[in-house]
Amino acid sequence: MAATATLTGLRARLEEVVGREHVRTDEGALVTFSTDATPLERGHPDAVVFPATAEEVAGVLRFANERGVPVVPRGSGTNLSAGTVPHRGGIVLVLTRMNRVKEVSDAELVAVCEPGVRTSELAQAAAAKGLLFPPDPGSQTTATVGGNVAECAGGLRALKYGVTRDYVLGVQAVLPTGEIIRSGGRLVKDVAGYDLRRLLCGSEGTLAVMTELTLRLVPAPEASGYGMAYFPDLASAARAVSRVLASGVLPVTLEFLDQVCIGAVEDYAQIGLDTSAGALLIFGQDGNPVVIERDLERMAQACTSEGATSVRIAESPEAASEVLHARRAALPALSRLEPLTLLEDATVPRSRIAEMVDFIQEVAQRHQLKIGTFGHAGDGNLHPTAVLDSADHGAVQRARAAFDEIFARAIELDGTITGEHGIGIAKLRYLERQLGADHTALLRRIKAAFDPNGILNPGKLGS
Amino acid sequence: MTVADVAPENTPESRGVFTPELLGRCISCGFCLPACPTYELTGVETSSPRGRINLMRALETGVLPDNDPTVHEEASFCLGCRACEPVCPAGVHYGELLEEWRDHLWNGRRRPWKVRPLLWAVDSPRRVRAMGIVRRHAGRASDAPGPVNLMLGCFERVLYPRVSRDARKLAPELAVPVAQGCCGALHAHNGELERGNELAKELGEALPGTIVTTSGGCGAHLAGVLGTERVKEFSQWWLAHEGPVPEATAAERRVDGRLRIGLQDSCHLRNGLGIWHEPRELIARVGDYVELPSAAACCGAAGSYAVVRPEESARVLEPHLDEIAAADLDVIAVVNAGCYRQLQQGVKRRKLRTRVVHIAELLAGENDRAAAT
Repeated sequence: MAATATLTGLRARLEEVVGREHVRTDEGALVTFSTDATPLERGHPDAVVFPATAEEVAGVLRFANERGVPVVPRGSGTNLSAGTVPHRGGIVLVLTRMNRVKEVSDAELVAVCEPGVRTSELAQAAAAKGLLFPPDPGSQTTATVGGNVAECAGGLRALKYGVTRDYVLGVQAVLPTGEIIRSGGRLVKDVAGYDLRRLLCGSEGTLAVMTELTLRLVPAPEASGYGMAYFPDLASAARAVSRVLASGVLPVTLEFLDQVCIGAVEDYAQIGLDTSAGALLIFGQDGNPVVIERDLERMAQACTSEGATSVRIAESPEAASEVLHARRAALPALSRLEPLTLLEDATVPRSRIAEMVDFIQEVAQRHQLKIGTFGHAGDGNLHPTAVLDSADHGAVQRARAAFDEIFARAIELDGTITGEHGIGIAKLRYLERQLGADHTALLRRIKAAFDPNGILNPGKLGS
Repeated sequence: MTVADVAPENTPESRGVFTPELLGRCISCGFCLPACPTYELTGVETSSPRGRINLMRALETGVLPDNDPTVHEEASFCLGCRACEPVCPAGVHYGELLEEWRDHLWNGRRRPWKVRPLLWAVDSPRRVRAMGIVRRHAGRASDAPGPVNLMLGCFERVLYPRVSRDARKLAPELAVPVAQGCCGALHAHNGELERGNELAKELGEALPGTIVTTSGGCGAHLAGVLGTERVKEFSQWWLAHEGPVPEATAAERRVDGRLRIGLQDSCHLRNGLGIWHEPRELIARVGDYVELPSAAACCGAAGSYAVVRPEESARVLEPHLDEIAAADLDVIAVVNAGCYRQLQQGVKRRKLRTRVVHIAELLAGENDRAAAT
């Protein structure tokens, strides 16, 4: 928490900027803004403020910068790396009042919106004009576009459509020192200056506060189709994935569940999964119905030739929904096993998935933990999920040791400690191991160039 | 996550306000936020289910004291609609947590004063019976409990006695003994959990066998105490019972043009008991069913909420009225007495032409009556 002297008059100054009813300093409200979706991490802010315009954001930042008060930008608080936890106190700057979709243009294939728009709302506004905003992180019904851009969120369609960064054409942002800048705009081609919009995408609220986003849209696919295949082990499923991609098919969906997840989902949802299988692969394609049929057929063949014990292509939308249900139920099923769910996102090259998942199981057994792994087979983004009793301090310590090993292994396999959840507080200590000292020193210099007084989301990326 | 930097949580002494398994369930993912009407009104985390669970946790660990004003405000501001439950991946029983929360905060003197006369009125089966005595509800002193009994409800028998009459008209085999009290839902939702459960058990004894209720809110509370095997909501029971829908009448009606009928779900019926399809199917048999975008969202009645917090209750209702007006409905059907009153008042205030009708009334021929006018 910032020193009391610094905070004298904090509330009064914030009220001057955003109005009385948009500042909260009551203890109850502060408690509810002290966490996000990350387990075990907790801070304690001194104030929560809800600005409605870029000018108000600038007013809050200028004041905080003068007084050296930390500011933590926040959307809906679905962050999974404690990136929105105010662990050094200060001001939580909530952007959900800035929730207008300003424009969706089918002629220009762009959308312009404020950061507090929910991702699924933007997707619906695009869909209403026959367009698609492809990034679809699991939290899209709650998470905001601003938060997704700040974290460079991924999702289930990343292999074919890319991640959030691939859809950010332009941003308006407020620097920690209070200036309002724009980078990029509606142009597909624009190389004037450093590509700051890309730098801000994934900067985790440590460089600037984004107040308007111009996003690229694509024409919505006509249709989609899905199938599923069981394998005796993950290695054969992984070989099938390689074979699919080598066959000239770029699928929209390639998701897998390991044996632990299959068992947990079946216990929870009872949808008739084969719990004796070593892995379940769910594949899908979108686009023209003829292409979908051809690609699903090819993917089914690839699975069969790599030893799939059974393959099924969904014949109807209802059947497709059943197929996807298994994947959607993975996290709920695991989370119901124990009170504490630790969801990670270590990512490795596709060709190393089987190796990595085997390693995760070996580590889990060695540390006497239950870890299920599901994830995006197409892009190597794994979600090893440990479930344990939060009251069992020994288990929490063992989980900590296990994830230490899992991250180290991911780096050894040319992977990353985080594919889509971000560094936040949680993984800062692993970052230098992955990037090296020179690289992290450069990150700090970039951070200092944007934020000389270190007020914006301090103690996280760039610190 | 973050096993990384995290020391095992210091688990401060728990005070025993909440059942630990219920409070421990929430994984703080935030998926409940967009489903919550009060979060939609305010955009403030503190007024969301996740925010409220964080308040409960702070109360449980003593981080916040019993008299914290925000804790009290949020316990009262919550509609208790349980729309957060179906969208929760971790399966948090929010409704039970809310009951425990209010039981702790309100039991005794701190209950909102407007609730007190309501609870007093329904606390004794004798008073409930007296309230209904001047109204022509379906209850008969001569009726002995049968294998399947119709529950009269307490406020419903006073405000909307025709609902039970029409339910009985549709299904004469329903026994409707007049000696039955309140189900206790109002108590349970307003900080008297124990008394709420007692009343449900007493009603279970007064009506042995299956209990059919025309109010979703009562149904969910009763089923929570007596089990879903014994307690059936009217449309659920009627559909399973294969009640004869006069197909010929339906065909005749088509000549005059079918009515456009919407539905307001009962929150606890939908979110608590998972029943939403049944009333829709029944409506589609007698008219053109129109699904309003907010059909599944709370109308703001929320038991005693409309009485305790009339301003917020009216704000929650507004979008529903906008949609009813935009869809130009002939009828908006309801499956709960509270929603009946809330929508009737709203429709009247806005001077809409839409009629508010309980599903039992609709099936028993309200459709014809409305068409005739």
